[in-house]
Amino acid sequence: MTALILLSALGVIALLAEIFSFKKLLFPVVVLGLITTFVLNLVDWNTDKSWYGMMRAFSSVLIGITTLWFIMAEGFFKEESSLTDHFALILFALVGGVVMVSYTNMTMLFLGIEILSIPMYVLAASKKDDVASNEAGFKYLILGAFSTGFLLFGITLIYGATASFDLPVIADFISSHNGAVPSMFYAGILLMLIAMVFKVSAVPFHFWAPDVYQGAPTSVTAFMATIVKTAAFAAFLRLFASTFAGAGSIWIDVLWVIAALTLLVGNITAVIQTSTKRMLAYSSIAHAGYMLLALIALNQFTQSSVLFYSLAYSIGSIASFGVLSIVTASRGNDTTEAFNGLAKTNPLLAVAMTVALLSLAGIPPTAGFFAKYYIFNAAFLSGYGWLVLIAILASLIGVYYYFRIIIAMFFKESNGNASIEVTVNHKLMFIITILLTIALGLFPDFIIRLL
Amino acid sequence: MITYLFYFLSFLAIMFALMVVLSKNPIHSVLYLVLTFFAIAGHYVLLNAQFLAAVHIIVYAGAIMVLFLFVIMLLNLNKETEPHKSIWLKASAAVASGLLLLVLVGSLRNAELITAANPYNPSIGLIENLGQTLFHEFLLPFEVASILLLGAMVGAVMLGKKNIK
Repeated sequence: MTALILLSALGVIALLAEIFSFKKLLFPVVVLGLITTFVLNLVDWNTDKSWYGMMRAFSSVLIGITTLWFIMAEGFFKEESSLTDHFALILFALVGGVVMVSYTNMTMLFLGIEILSIPMYVLAASKKDDVASNEAGFKYLILGAFSTGFLLFGITLIYGATASFDLPVIADFISSHNGAVPSMFYAGILLMLIAMVFKVSAVPFHFWAPDVYQGAPTSVTAFMATIVKTAAFAAFLRLFASTFAGAGSIWIDVLWVIAALTLLVGNITAVIQTSTKRMLAYSSIAHAGYMLLALIALNQFTQSSVLFYSLAYSIGSIASFGVLSIVTASRGNDTTEAFNGLAKTNPLLAVAMTVALLSLAGIPPTAGFFAKYYIFNAAFLSGYGWLVLIAILASLIGVYYYFRIIIAMFFKESNGNASIEVTVNHKLMFIITILLTIALGLFPDFIIRLL
Repeated sequence: MITYLFYFLSFLAIMFALMVVLSKNPIHSVLYLVLTFFAIAGHYVLLNAQFLAAVHIIVYAGAIMVLFLFVIMLLNLNKETEPHKSIWLKASAAVASGLLLLVLVGSLRNAELITAANPYNPSIGLIENLGQTLFHEFLLPFEVASILLLGAMVGAVMLGKKNIK
């Protein structure tokens, strides 16, 4: 609640900055506000692990990652004409994310998803003179509205069967019916599953993701790949791993197929991409597949492993998208060749990118290794050996395309590419991401024990 | 009597909704959509939700449809501009939506009849009761919706205004 009020107030303050002309001060104000919210969120940590602990943990991840994102996306806020709007929209989107991780009621779920999505539609289209950006915003809006339709239809059917929007009441309804719930309820679950799977961009509901991720400004893409995905997974978890867990027999098989397809299609398609941004978009689809694995496992490790995975994945994504946007801005394209010889010209960027990619690929001792380990462990304990095998094969494919960039950075000649100027804030941000990735890889228990 | 009225309104709603999809001219589609909304508002009245029915007509049939018509007029969509789609695309869309229809009909066919908590309360849809629920049970969603509207408004303004160089 505190986080919700503080973040909304921060968004309104960002809008007021235009009137009272303290635009220059806005960046530090917002970053300080986010850090304050983060600290306050941690201070009154509730020990009740099932609902409130999860909410605190995920909203802390969201707020912390957004703070990092703001430092990374400094360049995105340089444009004078709609600077305050960008700030406000991002903060409102974050409010939506916090609602999505903490709802106990279907109406709040719907509002959270919409509050997160509508600013994203707008921000994806925020490069107004770029056709690709316009297309991204439009595509995202149309398909997002379509998936919202499925969500609402699902909520309606579930309300029709249970006469309640409250998640605990719905969970009670399932347990009191002993698994033999009305078929209308099943249809509702499947429709909501479609909507949630769309939001986390899993195959076969992923077609929007590559185009939107590529067309949107790189900073916005980073936000979509981290905050939006984490919030969507927290909402997914809350809905399916807690509320609909009793009716697992109806949706686990469906999700099994979706997860396997996501892992394979995401990783294999990522290999053939020439644009690094598009490659990262497909890799983000593939990462949704790993997190789905934990959801299918449906045991006591589900929540903690998704939390750890989303944290590790978000830090890795922020760093890799940060390096990508800096390199793209100075070298004019985002092919693998743009990274040639980066280790000689900009060692810090190259190291940050390498650590981030190693983490995304799941190589020890980075955070990504333990993230994958916990998820595979959870799925294996619940008896999904085949799915784990598919996931391991898929991550081997992942290693190939991540290493292509690392090889380009360290072993290819730079062809006279000059050193890239990096601001102090960005340097600081990259050092933080490197340290966090390695620290989480060395002491994963710290996060895992939270839930 | 009410049952027949229900079937009549349902028939109208489904028929007009089909006409929205089937008619070639976008203006006709919009006008059929208005009729669909009126039929659905009739359902609300049958359910004793008078306020919802009124708001539904004012907001959807009134405001939003006028907006639709304006957009169609400004974009000059008053002719068949839809590109021709391949037969495979049409076939797969038909199969997919047919399967969805099958699942939905199958699940609703033998749905249990739900007994309402208070079977007959003629004032259930009046503004007073609605306000009580909205500001009591659903206060937080009601307040949070303001952020949604604010965000949407800021976004619309941001996309709409010119870049000042």
